[in-house]
Amino acid sequence: MKLTLKVWRQESGAEEGHFEEYLLEEVGPEFSLLEALDKLNDDLVARGEEPIAFDSDCREGICGACGVTVDGTPHGPQKNTPSCRQHLRSFEDGATVQLEPFRSGAFPVVKDLAVNRSALDRVIGAGGFVSTSVGTAPDADAIPVTHEAAEWALDLAACIGCGACVAACPNGSAQLFAGSKTMHLATLPSSSKERGRRAKGITRAAEEEFGPCSVYGECAEVCPAGIPLTAIAGLNKEKLRQVLRNKDD
Amino acid sequence: MTATIQRKQRTSAPPRTRLPVSNFAAKTTMAVTGLIFVGFVFVHMYGNLHIFRGQEEFDHYAHWLREILMPLMPYAGVLWVLRVVLLISLVLHVGCGLLLWTRARRARGPFKRTGLRRGDALMARSMLGTGLVILLFVIFHILDLTLGVQPAASGAFESGSAYANLVASFQRPVVALFYMLTMLVLTVHVAHGTWTAANDLGATGRRLRQLAAWVAGLVAIAICLGNISIPVLVLLGVIQ
Ligand code: HEM
Ligand code: SF4
Ligand code: FES
Repeated sequence: MKLTLKVWRQESGAEEGHFEEYLLEEVGPEFSLLEALDKLNDDLVARGEEPIAFDSDCREGICGACGVTVDGTPHGPQKNTPSCRQHLRSFEDGATVQLEPFRSGAFPVVKDLAVNRSALDRVIGAGGFVSTSVGTAPDADAIPVTHEAAEWALDLAACIGCGACVAACPNGSAQLFAGSKTMHLATLPSSSKERGRRAKGITRAAEEEFGPCSVYGECAEVCPAGIPLTAIAGLNKEKLRQVLRNKDD
Repeated sequence: MTATIQRKQRTSAPPRTRLPVSNFAAKTTMAVTGLIFVGFVFVHMYGNLHIFRGQEEFDHYAHWLREILMPLMPYAGVLWVLRVVLLISLVLHVGCGLLLWTRARRARGPFKRTGLRRGDALMARSMLGTGLVILLFVIFHILDLTLGVQPAASGAFESGSAYANLVASFQRPVVALFYMLTMLVLTVHVAHGTWTAANDLGATGRRLRQLAAWVAGLVAIAICLGNISIPVLVLLGVIQ
């Protein structure tokens, strides 16, 4: 099949960007979006042109490195699927597809389709970790955790930190990301020792870097980890709890 | 997530002098004041339905509002407490709404999100616009039916004759139309607002979230239908 790719080209964060059109031939519906970009880059290099910069690593939806905006939608047309697992079969033969970097104030472009998402790391640095000593692994049932709680914590821990939720948000909010990071730790006994401190730190950092949440719900539509909208209420709940108790735990 | 990052380099806009109000505080204020409004508008709609019991009942109801807790409170005392609470809520709600809106636009940066098609997202996007229409309506509504200031009020306005004033007001088609349009706008604002408030106040339980979604929709529709029925029946000549 054939596609026309309208790709955002930008030399660096300091320079203006623009769209450029490329004809992509000899690709098939089974190509992933990133394989299509690889193919285009091979063509570009063969012609002596500068290849398109974009991020990727695992290419199987587990690392969170990839992320481009496809026709205005972060990651692409297939819901809850990372860019690396989007396929050309989503597009009509001969279609024009627009590829942009993830757009948000907190994600400056590094080059072409690659953006700097370290604002997410700073949110984690402000509280998305466990600093209490939990010793060696306890006996299996020493600290009771219900099956439901364990499953729920795992569901929320599935976030791969790709930042698509931010790019999907008209407010530039990272509430889904921050909510999943706060809530999965709040759900389990050992990590919940620092609930208050964590809620405070994460909320403060998320507010410094990102926008407020108005519950558009666009984040949960694109999230490749399927983090539910409940996570955004979870962050508010944890913060409210911290404000009312004013304690570290 | 790794790849292309420079961990230390600040990526967001340099911290500007911000109002010392966190987004969390602003959102919680929005939620609480918003829910006060929802409660008020719902009860107000229920009170308005007294119109179907005829002139005497309706005027009596308007008068009764001023006599609640009468020996304990002075005449119109409870009414004034309500008015003050609502006014303070309105100032806070609109102030926080504008604050959050400007912060949101700044955080998104120069490339607006495009291609929003889901109902939820469209309602969320409409919050400032629908809110401002409601604000204009509230001002008009008070001038028309509470204070009787012309030209907002009809020529026949007479203080104390709630029923006659309301009917005379709605007999002007433009006023009835503005009222009906505002009610549609209010439906959207209340539906999404109530759902947002549930999220802002930390509703995480599965059943609680289901309940909040249902209450948001049903309350919004009830307010809309209850209120809209009045100008419609005035225009049809059923209420005279
Ligand atoms: C009777 C009138 C009103 C009712 C019942 C109402 C109700 C609500 C509720 C419940 C919310 C959700 C609060 C939250 O974010 O948690 C809300 C949000 C909002 N309201 Fe109102 N409101 C009213 C009037 C207004 C007015 C006059 C404005 C004028 C600007 C306004 C602007 C907004 C905005 C912008 C939001 C969204 C805030 C955000 O989530 O970013 N509202 N409203
Ligand atoms: S919540 Fe979902 S969309 Fe957001 S960073 Fe995590 S995996 Fe990506
Ligand atoms: S490259 Fe790892 S999730 Fe897409």
